Amino acid sequence: MLTTDERVRYDRQIMIPEIGEAGQEKLKKAKVLVAGAGGLGSPICIYLAAAGVGTIRLVDRDTVDLSNLNRQVLHGQGDIHRPKVDSARERLTGLNEAVTIETVQETISEESLEGLVESCDLIIDALDNMPTRYLLNKAALAHRIPFFHGAVSGFEGRVMTVLPGRTACLRCLYRGPVPAEKFPVIGVTPGLIGLIQTTEVIKYLLGIGSLLTNKMLRYDGLSLTFTEFKVEKNPSCDHCGRRTGVGEKNER
Amino acid sequence: MSAKIHLHKTLQSLTNGREIVEAAGNTVGDCLSHLVRQFPPLEEKLFDKKRKLLNTIEIYLNLQSAYPDELARPVKDGDDIHITLMLAGG
Repeated sequence: MLTTDERVRYDRQIMIPEIGEAGQEKLKKAKVLVAGAGGLGSPICIYLAAAGVGTIRLVDRDTVDLSNLNRQVLHGQGDIHRPKVDSARERLTGLNEAVTIETVQETISEESLEGLVESCDLIIDALDNMPTRYLLNKAALAHRIPFFHGAVSGFEGRVMTVLPGRTACLRCLYRGPVPAEKFPVIGVTPGLIGLIQTTEVIKYLLGIGSLLTNKMLRYDGLSLTFTEFKVEKNPSCDHCGRRTGVGEKNER
Repeated sequence: MSAKIHLHKTLQSLTNGREIVEAAGNTVGDCLSHLVRQFPPLEEKLFDKKRKLLNTIEIYLNLQSAYPDELARPVKDGDDIHITLMLAGG
């Protein structure tokens, strides 16, 4: 049941026919894992909290640096040297105290993910490197919960939604390791990409609209164009393929 | 056969600013070879020394992922080949 305050707070979105009170209650009951409190994690967490997604479990190992502030809008100048999850918690609780913010300051590993994913409905990728993204992808497949991928560089970004066992996963496109590099970025790019991911998450939780499954949506901010590339499940994918896939193993 | 190759913007400095380059060939691999013959500096941006595509490169044929075995994919006249880069930032 929604409280009187919640009916007022979410009035404008409850007015959306696809949401309504029943949808708002679904958002309230949801528990999501956000991996990363940086450029993508900032808009993702802010808009999840604003929308009333009940529990946000946020994990990030880093502290705030001055060079983060061009894009990581969860944090401010007064937060420099503080753990990102601490400033994030303050900001999000200040925005919506009815939302439960669970914060974890640790490095994401295959082992730590077991606990991090526990009882979450889905995983949102707000990371800055590929190896850890693949760990999230694998954990999502193993737990059979959706995975919402996003990545950026410069004015460019991309988004893909993975429904384990049903659609292509991030690893289906894996060609081998890529060098870890400091990437250029301006805040508007993760701002926009993070909010496309968040839109996908909200639609999934509500069971409405269509999702970016079997698709890699590419955004180019310089030409202001979106390109939708089709992606198919790769039968030889080492995460979800027929022989070695995590998802398949779970189905047996 | 002739395909239109759409180049990622980071590669366009090597094609005199051209975003789309026509290339001939029966497969994606043939078309990329023809592209590289027209603009030789692209070779090391696309391929390693064993002429395997770099891990950061993604190829889409008619807006569909061509992975795996991208280079062997047959090409028809007028096909579109997009060369994009994997993004890792966040």
